[in-house]
Amino acid sequence: MNFLAPGAFILGLLLPVIVALYLLKLRRVEKEVPSTYLWVKMVRDVEANAPWQRLRPNLLMILQLLFMAALILALARPFAWAEGVSGDAAIFILDASASMAAADVEAGSRLESAKQRAIQLVDDLPDTARVTIIEAGREARVLLSSSLDRRQAHLAIESIEAWNGGSDLGVALELGSAIAARQPGTEIVVLSDGRVTLPQRLALKGRLRYIPFGLSGENQAISLLSLEQAPGNTLTAFVQVTNYGSQPAARRLSLFTDGSLENVYDLKEIPPGGQQNVIAEGLPAGTRIVEARLDGDDILKTDDTAVAVKPETQSLPVRLVTQGNLFLETALSLQQGVVLTKPPAPADAEAAPSETGEPTPEAQPTAVDETAGETSALTIYDGSVPEQLPASGNLVFIAPPRSTDLFTTTGQVNTPLPRAVDPADPLLANVSISGVSILDAVQIPLPDWAVPVVAGELVDEDGSLTGENVPLIFRGEVGGRRIVVIAFDLRHSDLPLQVAFPLLWSNIVDWLSPGGRSSVPAQVAPGETITFSAGEGVSSAVITRPNGASVEVQAENGRFVYAGTEELGVYQIRFVGAQAADGPSAAFAVNLFSPIESNLDPADNLPGLVSEDGPENAVTQKAMREWWRPLALLALGLLTGEWLVYQRGALARIRDLIFRRSLSTGKNRQITGW
Amino acid sequence: MSERFFEEGFLRRLERLALIARQASAGKTQGERRSQKRGQSVEFSDFRPYVAGDDFRRIDWNAYARLERFFIKLFVEEEDLTVHLLIDASRSMRWGEPQKLWYAAQVAGALGYIALTGLDRVTVTAVGGANPAASYFPPHRGKQQALALFDFLQKLVQENGSAGSNNSAAASAPVDPELALRAYASTRAPNGAQRPGSLVLLSDLMHDGWAEGLRVLASRGFEITVIQVLADEEVNPELHGDLKLIDSEDGTEVEITADYDLLGRYKKNLVTWQESIRNFCMARSMLYVPLTTSLPLEDLLFVWLERQGVLR
Repeated sequence: MNFLAPGAFILGLLLPVIVALYLLKLRRVEKEVPSTYLWVKMVRDVEANAPWQRLRPNLLMILQLLFMAALILALARPFAWAEGVSGDAAIFILDASASMAAADVEAGSRLESAKQRAIQLVDDLPDTARVTIIEAGREARVLLSSSLDRRQAHLAIESIEAWNGGSDLGVALELGSAIAARQPGTEIVVLSDGRVTLPQRLALKGRLRYIPFGLSGENQAISLLSLEQAPGNTLTAFVQVTNYGSQPAARRLSLFTDGSLENVYDLKEIPPGGQQNVIAEGLPAGTRIVEARLDGDDILKTDDTAVAVKPETQSLPVRLVTQGNLFLETALSLQQGVVLTKPPAPADAEAAPSETGEPTPEAQPTAVDETAGETSALTIYDGSVPEQLPASGNLVFIAPPRSTDLFTTTGQVNTPLPRAVDPADPLLANVSISGVSILDAVQIPLPDWAVPVVAGELVDEDGSLTGENVPLIFRGEVGGRRIVVIAFDLRHSDLPLQVAFPLLWSNIVDWLSPGGRSSVPAQVAPGETITFSAGEGVSSAVITRPNGASVEVQAENGRFVYAGTEELGVYQIRFVGAQAADGPSAAFAVNLFSPIESNLDPADNLPGLVSEDGPENAVTQKAMREWWRPLALLALGLLTGEWLVYQRGALARIRDLIFRRSLSTGKNRQITGW
Repeated sequence: MSERFFEEGFLRRLERLALIARQASAGKTQGERRSQKRGQSVEFSDFRPYVAGDDFRRIDWNAYARLERFFIKLFVEEEDLTVHLLIDASRSMRWGEPQKLWYAAQVAGALGYIALTGLDRVTVTAVGGANPAASYFPPHRGKQQALALFDFLQKLVQENGSAGSNNSAAASAPVDPELALRAYASTRAPNGAQRPGSLVLLSDLMHDGWAEGLRVLASRGFEITVIQVLADEEVNPELHGDLKLIDSEDGTEVEITADYDLLGRYKKNLVTWQESIRNFCMARSMLYVPLTTSLPLEDLLFVWLERQGVLR
């Protein structure tokens, strides 16, 4: 034990003074009494004239000595070195990712253990140290900011729960670093298992300390589950089980279809760090949900189950107004879900879209054939332009012969050299356009609403580049619809012969029907925000979470956005709208499928962290734990005890008074004795 | 002054009381006191069969008429008695609120008045007083002597109880009560005297000499009642801290540290002491009445002394 103020021990000289006061005989107050007759009989030793008296054991003296000793000790401010946090402020970042739920520690889970440790560290802080608590879960949240209130810190730490996804530790660290930059001498304490993704070379203000949690990495997880429509209208499930441990593992995999057990697979030996795949073929056609479960226990349960929803192949009605384009028809028919309709003649087709027919909900494929002749989600005008544009639906114009409300044609250009304006454009994903030769193209000045996708550089007669560009392919949104314009006739280029051609159309159709062909994604990671299109006449969707809770989501601009995907399992969607009262339904599954979270081997260091203010990843730091508080309390208790002992006569009188008041009523109460 | 010693109404209430004589004592003249002797008076006591030699004047002829047998009517004999009132007038009696001496004088006055009303003789003696000459009230008889008695008591209190007398008498040595009582016994009840009468001692008994003196008095045939008058501060001393206690009579010094333990011991000691006095008195057929001056006089006279068998 060490002392911050050892000078206080000089006060120890007061102890013998107290004893001396007891040795010294007191100068007594003289008082005349009627008679000393009774007193003389009692008082034993009357050493009348000695200045000193024999030291007798006296309760008051002992209490006074103890009080003084406790007070002096408290004033000397004893402290013990403890492994803890020192400094003027501390920021605790608690990892609340799925891996922290692993039950490989005594406290029940890594997070519980981390919470206990954080509370202990908070309690050991100097009283003047400000505490910030940051939860690194789905997002980094500051639960408590620069507070001196330890009780609130406890509450904040207790409120942290592990969630089912990864942790945003990078943002949490940046947040902590920003707070630390304002308060010099701040220590950032990261309580995590190290199973996190961090930005490269994250530079932080403040001293950083990482306290790892977790003992074992023996964990097996279902790392993939997917369903595919197989020929013969059956389903095929693909399950991948990964052993993240360092020992070979044997697990049993159960496969459920719509809640009933379909098959059980004994995975005899999954090599450490390896996978074992299970392909279950011929699942019943009507199956909607397939669930895979690893039986038995490992340290993390979250990744032992996975669900998959049967992919909803939804048809996309596409109307092609052309005088015959084999390349285009072939390319479109290759696209999954596309239901191609061709009006008999372009002339008829021009009139047809003016009748705004029944809107076709995308999720009702049976209705498509009947109404496709009247309207479509996507209409392609190849070499023609309608008199009046259809009221709804997205549009593609190929080599428009004349101006429309949307754009103006100003002439024709010859042999432009195509060039991708932005290779990252969604229309150009996996598409190389540079080798394409184009004979001629319609010159269309780029409208306000459009972004160029492919530009063509003009070449003059002697073959040199003029540096002048015309848009060859552009896209944009106007009036709530998406429009793609291809300024050249496909047959006047070698594009249809390129590998890029079907890919380009795939991209175009994808972009023009976002999520369209399968509007609702089948698989979503926890916490991921999903968007899906509303379809015609659908105004809202009721989403039922795996725990049974329902939430209604309103469509905005024809699209739904839903972010409440924290829970693992199957989410049911029921669309509600004027025309679809009972609504078509859909479903999607949320699965962990995260190697980072499932690989539980605790990391001794946080990867790639640099602290600007202190030792990198300092593991142990000494903090002073002061002890004066209990000592001061003890001194106060002793002082109170001493006072009570000194005043016990008065206390007894009060007690007697109350006692007598309550008991005596007789007239003889004044009579003494017996 | 004497009118003030007791209120009129109080005196009238006192007249309804009477002293009880415990011993069968034969007075020289017939008084109004009940004695245990059956005899001639108006108060009927009992019947007994006639035997030869009885005074035939006392035969109940009405009973003979009904039963044809002789019965003698017995009556409580009423006789007179000398009541000796001894008041401790030593300096320790000057304490208390109300003062012990004043209280003792009041009790003596009341008892004396009751005795005078009962046609008994009353004599008062102050023991250890400042002025020995004015410390004796010779035997008086008859209700009309009450004023003289009250006068004497009032003077006694004035001379011994006030602060002024305190100083003037400071030099005088305290009187040993044993000697005083021995002297009293030999003068008031010389050996062979038939009926010394009843004696009431009013004192705080704060001297070892009282016990010996009482023993002597008891041996002379006095019918003794000891009324111990204590002040509240003696029963529950309110003392704090380190004190040097000085005796008001002989100046004895005692050093004490008045803490909880000591005060507790003091009270226990007081109880033991009073218990020993009580045993002493019981062994000698004395009545022992301990009281504190805070006990209202009326409670003492009309309730407590009656219960103790002193008055009726």
